[in-house]
Amino acid sequence: MDKILAKAKRTKEYLNEYYIEIKKNDFKEVCSYLSHDKNAILRMMFGTDEREIDGTFKIYSVFTIYGNERFFIIYFSLTEEDNAFPSITHDIPAAHWYEREIKDMLGLIPDGHPDTRSLVFHDAFPKDSYPLRKDWNISDADLEEWGKGIAKKRPYNFMEVKGEGIYEIPVGPVHAGIIEPGHFRFSAVGETIFFLESRLFYTHKGTEKHFEKLGFTEGVKLAERISGTSSYSYSCAYCMAVERMTGAEITEKAKAVRTLLIELERLYNHIGDIGNMCAGTGLQVGYAKGAAIKESLMQLNERLTGSRYLRGVNIIGGVNKDILLCKDDIFSTLSMAIKKYKELMKLLLGTVSHVERLENTGRLSKEIAQKLGVTGVAARASGIEDDLRKTHPHLLYERLAFEEHVMSKGDVLARMMIRAEEAECSISIISSLLENKYKGDPAVQPNNIPGYSSALGFAETPHGSLFFWIKADKNGRPLRVKFRSPSFCNWPAVPFAVHGNIVPDFPLCNKSFNLSYSGCDM
Amino acid sequence: MIKEILKNLLTKKSAIPFPEDFKGNNEMLEIISSKKKIETGFKRSIKIRQVDSGSCNACEWECTALSNPIYDIQRFGIDFTASPRHADILLVTGPVSRQMELALRKTYLAMPEPKLVVACGDCAIDGGIYKGSYAVTNGAANVIPVDCCIKGCPPSPSDIIQALKKLLDALADNKAQIK
Ligand code: SF4
Repeated sequence: MDKILAKAKRTKEYLNEYYIEIKKNDFKEVCSYLSHDKNAILRMMFGTDEREIDGTFKIYSVFTIYGNERFFIIYFSLTEEDNAFPSITHDIPAAHWYEREIKDMLGLIPDGHPDTRSLVFHDAFPKDSYPLRKDWNISDADLEEWGKGIAKKRPYNFMEVKGEGIYEIPVGPVHAGIIEPGHFRFSAVGETIFFLESRLFYTHKGTEKHFEKLGFTEGVKLAERISGTSSYSYSCAYCMAVERMTGAEITEKAKAVRTLLIELERLYNHIGDIGNMCAGTGLQVGYAKGAAIKESLMQLNERLTGSRYLRGVNIIGGVNKDILLCKDDIFSTLSMAIKKYKELMKLLLGTVSHVERLENTGRLSKEIAQKLGVTGVAARASGIEDDLRKTHPHLLYERLAFEEHVMSKGDVLARMMIRAEEAECSISIISSLLENKYKGDPAVQPNNIPGYSSALGFAETPHGSLFFWIKADKNGRPLRVKFRSPSFCNWPAVPFAVHGNIVPDFPLCNKSFNLSYSGCDM
Repeated sequence: MIKEILKNLLTKKSAIPFPEDFKGNNEMLEIISSKKKIETGFKRSIKIRQVDSGSCNACEWECTALSNPIYDIQRFGIDFTASPRHADILLVTGPVSRQMELALRKTYLAMPEPKLVVACGDCAIDGGIYKGSYAVTNGAANVIPVDCCIKGCPPSPSDIIQALKKLLDALADNKAQIK
């Protein structure tokens, strides 16, 4: 670390966030040192428009080192005239989408990036228009043209594979089933996928900018609506960031409620996902059983919180309901669910045709997963130990005894098994949470948000690690709300996993990753 | 077989119940299309094409849940279809992001007449929480003509079934009280 500190202009430590300011020209070297010598993971990278504070834009990159609870936040400044920075994508492939996103949203140029196409905005979005700049404006005519989508202001060249017998299959954005929109181009030889390029961001809703408009309290509602099936994790991470900004510590009881609900969310997602994978192999009975267990858990959610997606419980400073009072209901529903779930797993693992389809399909190697910074179930199935619950204990996780599940094969079966084991683990966590008593009120009155304060919030969602980084302006209103969904770093890994598989297996691979489009598209 | 039935009766094996409020809540549905259009002849079987126009995915999951063994929407003669060419109803979720606007329009145009458009969820009705963001068009009605709205964020599967059933009744006997 001394090597980096020697280059630091300024450092600041806040909770477990270690801010290190460096010079722009040292950026490449520092990142390379962290990533190669220290084995650090690039967790996120983003730009901010802080011209109202000191006349500069800033680029932040957040690293974590295995076995170290700190977040290393490396940052440097750029000005409007001098708006290029050295790209680190060649060295750290995980940075490639972040850098393209910074370019699209803020107009800061990653110098030497191998792919300069627009990531976020599609063909008809005006050129040289950067929504996250504070002085950004767009005319109604431009907006209308963007919606109509005909004018090619940012032509996108799909990568092409040429050669005898290779043909292209375009799919989407509107798909046959009830799923989210995205566009995929397969280059196939016969049935085998040779190359896949995905184009996402159809559901781009300007969420990060919208946060700035809503303010911190309303922001909880928006955070819950970034990605439907992880609503609760998102609001936890968001509230955590804001609470850390104010310096408030939530009570033990609030922590217990949050831990319980976040585990309930993991449980219904994992069981639902296992059931959905059966739809990919045509095992209807497995699909129906999975869906039925999921439904009973969703109805439990509704009885507990009034929302099937656990919305409206988190508030800044704690929770507004004491879920722990509904102990009996949780116990009885879970004991029924676990019985049915065990039956389901027995059925699935005993069905040879199902297991054979999953085995060796959609393999993601550990090497690629590591390079791309893959997270969550996908990472753990490829042999990477990455679970924020263990590495950065938050809520009550420090006190709870549970195991981290890792497998090495990286195929669809491994991803299913990780889900299966984690679901059982969640049930035991919930039961042990219900056995204890916790002190304190469900919520504390939050302090005012100090001007220019900033903080990180994080959570382990059912899909992987999620981060929020929030900064306030001088009046304590949001200046920048950045989030990094787990899907954002897992999407680029999907083409690597499906390479060499047959086209009909793509939905199965896709289901095994189960990525959110809305969360990724911001 | 008889043994199984007896066993079930004796052990009182219970299925996952329907949510209790299944029969309540009449405010879920708002039919806004003209009477004339309603009279143009659907009977008691409809095919729905669902399009996600930028939703948070919770609305979709509720639509998916309609086909699970608890709700089993097919028994009402309602089913989802893959092709817009087979569809009678276009069910839109999400606030219609600008990058999905074209795709939504194209799907609508690909459907044969007569057709109805249902906006499902607060987002699809007026943008919901995303109202006012630069990247959304604040609801499906700003892009294609909407005939009927199902409120909720997300509307639960029972809300959706109930709304669709009411719509079907209205279509079938023409006596609907159209607001
Ligand atoms: S209405 Fe609510 S649940 Fe539906 S897409 Fe919008 S935010 Fe998501």
